[in-house]
Amino acid sequence: MTKLGIALGLVASLMSSAVMAEAVKATPGQAVNMVLLPKFLGILPFDQADRGAQEAAKELGSTGTYQYIGPTPENSAAGQIEMLTTATTQKQNVVMLSNNAGDQIAAVAEAAQAAGTKVVTWDSPIPSGKGESLFVAQVDFGSIGTVMADMVMSMTGGAGEFAVLSASPDAANQNAWIEAMKKVLAEDAKYKDLKLVDVVYGNDQSEESYNKALGLVDKYPDLKVIMAPTTVGIVAAAKAMQDEGLCEKVKVSGLGLPAEMVSYTMNGCAPEFALWSFVDLGYLTTYTSYLLATGAIKGEVGETFTAGRMGDFTIEADPGREGAKRVLMGPFTVYNKDNVEAASK
Amino acid sequence: MHPQTLRILALAAALLATVLFFSTQIDGYLSERMFTRISTSAAVILPIAVGQAIVVITRNIDLSIGSTMGVVAYLTGDYLSGHPELHPVLVLCLAMGIGAGIGAINGILVAWGRVPSIIVTLGTLALLRSFLVEYSDARTITTASLPQWLVDLPQANAFSIFGIDVRVTVVLALASAVVMGLCLSRLRAARRFFAVGSNPDAAVMAGINLPMVTLLAFVLSGALAGLSGFLFLAKFGNITVVAGMGFELKSVAAVVVGGVSILGGSGSMVGVVIGTVLVDTIDNSLTRWELVSEFWRDALLGFLIMAAVTVDTFMSRQLSRLSRKES
Repeated sequence: MTKLGIALGLVASLMSSAVMAEAVKATPGQAVNMVLLPKFLGILPFDQADRGAQEAAKELGSTGTYQYIGPTPENSAAGQIEMLTTATTQKQNVVMLSNNAGDQIAAVAEAAQAAGTKVVTWDSPIPSGKGESLFVAQVDFGSIGTVMADMVMSMTGGAGEFAVLSASPDAANQNAWIEAMKKVLAEDAKYKDLKLVDVVYGNDQSEESYNKALGLVDKYPDLKVIMAPTTVGIVAAAKAMQDEGLCEKVKVSGLGLPAEMVSYTMNGCAPEFALWSFVDLGYLTTYTSYLLATGAIKGEVGETFTAGRMGDFTIEADPGREGAKRVLMGPFTVYNKDNVEAASK
Repeated sequence: MHPQTLRILALAAALLATVLFFSTQIDGYLSERMFTRISTSAAVILPIAVGQAIVVITRNIDLSIGSTMGVVAYLTGDYLSGHPELHPVLVLCLAMGIGAGIGAINGILVAWGRVPSIIVTLGTLALLRSFLVEYSDARTITTASLPQWLVDLPQANAFSIFGIDVRVTVVLALASAVVMGLCLSRLRAARRFFAVGSNPDAAVMAGINLPMVTLLAFVLSGALAGLSGFLFLAKFGNITVVAGMGFELKSVAAVVVGGVSILGGSGSMVGVVIGTVLVDTIDNSLTRWELVSEFWRDALLGFLIMAAVTVDTFMSRQLSRLSRKES
């Protein structure tokens, strides 16, 4: 009985791997009208995603339109909802959304789906998963926790106090990463001498992040690392430590853009930080959306497809959000003084 | 005693009470370091608060001031990365000039277009941000592309007394308040801001060129937002399209707490300085206070502003009732 079970299991796994090998390939040249909708316009990561999306759209030879539109920074959440509604009335085939409106956008996304406009999220998902066909995840949210903990480990030498400087208190992705890090810290004994003393929020504003970073060093005299999982926070914190001549004592780390971080990495204020490629994220999102809009994939768990130069991906259940589905990109790059200069060009 | 003087004494007492309270709560609070922290952080806001005060005194409001500041910080940084040899004084003139130009657009629309200032500046708030998004092409101004003197400016000391460092940026910001304060109290021409704000019809009857005064208020507000933009660029170094977002509300908070009547016609620069310092002190102290969580900080600040406005309205009503009885 057990043997038979094992055998059956083997056959099943062989079959499933056979199925997986047959990744769905895109048929180029179909008409798909696509909209790439970032949180807001005007900052580098989203422009990089646009570059990747254009590259993919060109490869796919889509005869439809491709638009990169987004709200201005001060109007982000309301603007996204409005633009998604407009895209629906324009009968766009697919909207690729980096959500900054939390669950407020879910109703509009559901209406879009009902009217035949697919909604594929990337970078930041719809928390409840409602109205979303798929989420193209930059990295596994759980593994970011491990990477952040490891960077703190290497900078503190294994023991000491550190604090988190995040974006806004309701940023879904940052909150998920911080929770993942807390879990890793609690579960793995090798981090037992690291102490997370505080989590503060700079709301992705330079001046708030800068003042919060200084507040942290005043409040915790033994602080060794400020971990900022946001590209605005990390630069502001690094600048604050440099201005105060504290770089020897308090190191800054987190998620940052090489072009903005290069001087702080070279002078030792932020010796190590991580990020994934937004170009690749835009590229993969566009492939996924094209396949979904043309009906080549249905967006069901277990479907495998080929995304051009990036290879094969499989749709899976999102472990962080019940009932939601994701395509996992990964991995990310850890930058230090050896590779940051080349990446900042 | 004059009601303005009363108000300033009350504000100063509130500031003193705040500082004394937090000194019992936070270790090492009454230190040179804390002075530097709060003074340099308030310095970035002070010029726009002064500009906002002038506009509010004329019974208008400038909501575009944060976007103006962001545009100035970005354009100045962008120009400097191509022309690093530009003399510091000219850089300051450039920043204030760009700001004044933006202020002039607001002013013309309000003064001659007869559009309420809240509508005009709400429009330019969004327009300027959109312009910045288009212009920046998602590039970030980084410290690496700025001349060294500008990067070092926030650390530069103007002078030290009793071990307390007063930074150059703080002196610059205070200078803007002192100059405007002296003008408002000593210059006959500057008194027109008050005349226009307390009773526009009477001001016109008295032969005051109402549109011109309104325009001037917005130009000054723009130029001072330019000064704030310059200080922002120097202090933070990394400028993206979100620079200065939300500063319009900070400036309104500082102005209202500082006792400038939101109905126009009254206010003083001394009050604005104390208001700015008070709001910033509370903000910076709450950040370092163990007892208050992140989420209560904004609520406390909001409560403070509401309290200030309520006390202000209540006091003015009582005072006018008193003066009516006397006469």
